[in-house]
Amino acid sequence: MWRRADAGASCERARSPERGRTVSVIDLGGGVSWVHESFPETNGHIHVSVYLVDAPEGAILMDSGSFHHRQRLADRIHDATAGRGIGAIILSHSDYPHSGNIPAFRRDWGDFEIIASCGDPDLQGLPYARRTKIGDVTEVLGRRFVVLDPPLADRNHTTWVYDEASRTLFVADGFGALHAPGACDVDWGRLPEEGRAEGVHEFHAQTLPWLRYADPNRVMGALHAMLERHPPAWIAPIHGPPIAEADVDRYMADLSDALTRIAASCGSSE
Amino acid sequence: MPTETPAPTARTEAGWRRDVWPGIHWIQELGGHRAGIARAVLESGADWYKPGNELYVPQNAYLLTGERTLLWDTLSPASGHILLPALEELLGERPLDYLALSHPDVPHAGNTMQVLRRYPDCQLVAPAAGETHALYHLDDAMKVGPEDEIDLGGLRVRFPEATFLDAAIHTWMSEETTRTLFTVDWMGFPHQSGESLRRTDEIATVVDVGRLEEFHSRVMFWFQYVHPHKVTAATDALAVQFAGYGLAPAHGLPIPGADAAPYYERMNEVVRRVAAGGRGGVL
Ligand SMILES: [Fe+2]
Ligand SMILES: [Fe+2]
Ligand SMILES: [Fe+2]
Ligand SMILES: [Fe+2]
Repeated sequence: MWRRADAGASCERARSPERGRTVSVIDLGGGVSWVHESFPETNGHIHVSVYLVDAPEGAILMDSGSFHHRQRLADRIHDATAGRGIGAIILSHSDYPHSGNIPAFRRDWGDFEIIASCGDPDLQGLPYARRTKIGDVTEVLGRRFVVLDPPLADRNHTTWVYDEASRTLFVADGFGALHAPGACDVDWGRLPEEGRAEGVHEFHAQTLPWLRYADPNRVMGALHAMLERHPPAWIAPIHGPPIAEADVDRYMADLSDALTRIAASCGSSE
Repeated sequence: MPTETPAPTARTEAGWRRDVWPGIHWIQELGGHRAGIARAVLESGADWYKPGNELYVPQNAYLLTGERTLLWDTLSPASGHILLPALEELLGERPLDYLALSHPDVPHAGNTMQVLRRYPDCQLVAPAAGETHALYHLDDAMKVGPEDEIDLGGLRVRFPEATFLDAAIHTWMSEETTRTLFTVDWMGFPHQSGESLRRTDEIATVVDVGRLEEFHSRVMFWFQYVHPHKVTAATDALAVQFAGYGLAPAHGLPIPGADAAPYYERMNEVVRRVAAGGRGGVL
């Protein structure tokens, strides 16, 4: 199972057009691979990634990525699927950096199935989506996913999904972390320790504005309960590197600190 | 007080719009009947909803017309056929000078490209808050925040920080001559057949805590994880800062300034209930 950068590929190299098609996706085992992309922000890079899941009846893409990375994502998915492309997308929520490539990918690879959670797919611009809801166990191209209520999300219709076969927990806007330029393709546990906790704090402070009102204990309690029910071999966020089972406790400790700091920046908790 | 006089609405070919306050025109997308919410409302024993009525959680866009014109939000992608004819009818020969987006969320920003294509000289205005504008095609937009004001000539809009929001790139808006606060995803509530395009002072039913809770326990699902007193402190501060302002939400009916004060109180009860009882579902 993969744990560190292959041959030191950096963002810069991954970004160069002539290398675009040669950067492969990163195998997490169990038929799941990470197709990472990053976007530069003031205090670091943020991932805007997708994941590929091998299912008995085709390849499933977890979210569709940002239009900003469309061509490079399309090329790498094409290579990783030996030209067959994708057979379905499981969409965490309709936020554009997650959903922006759906129309283009459907033009590339046909009217494959979109599985999405929301009260009204039309309003989210997904009239053709198959609706799932929290609590469902849903089969997609012959692979089973449990649809979960996310404690960390921006839009209310967001869902997380747990892939039972690989024990991968796909968490959309949850479990994110900024990373330093050049560390775009390492898993969270392999990020340099210096700045790693700060990357968890930065991400949450800027991405989930409601955390200023949150009781960190309630959020952490909900997350711990979910991890106990669905123990992950990998936690697979869109906006951060994957977190290996062995690193989950350390991430949770950093997250708890981050939530406490964010809460403290907005009034007392008494 | 509720009135029985018909609201001054005009039916366009494919949708509805009306003038809500001087210079502020309201374009509403009803969406479909929300059967699940209607069931929940009936089970709660609420008396504002009549069984058999359609129940809506709308999208609202507002067109502000001073000497210059500004459109606030664009409805969902399902309703370009409502928004564009309404705009054309309201504007006539006039240009659309500004399109201001509260946040790049699909049901709010879903017709941005169509509007900009129809009015190519229109200036796109986006929240300054947030870091990922390029991921939303907003890198070239004019960015506005709490320091900014756009003088429309007769109307003046400002962009106070969004107090309750779902994502980083987000702003509220106020109009200072009519004293109207546009609260986007906050202060929404469902309405039923016969209440579309009415202000709260023009409907016969009450917008009580339970009705506000039906909306916020879904959209502000995160109320379940908060210290309620932090949210109520922020709400109380808004009630002071915007005392006397009318409220123009994106997912409810506009509330006149004279009636707004108790709504802040009701929202405080909503957050206490959701923090104690959990989210109501998904919208
Ligand atoms: Fe999001
Ligand atoms: Fe996101
Ligand atoms: Fe929103
Ligand atoms: Fe909204």
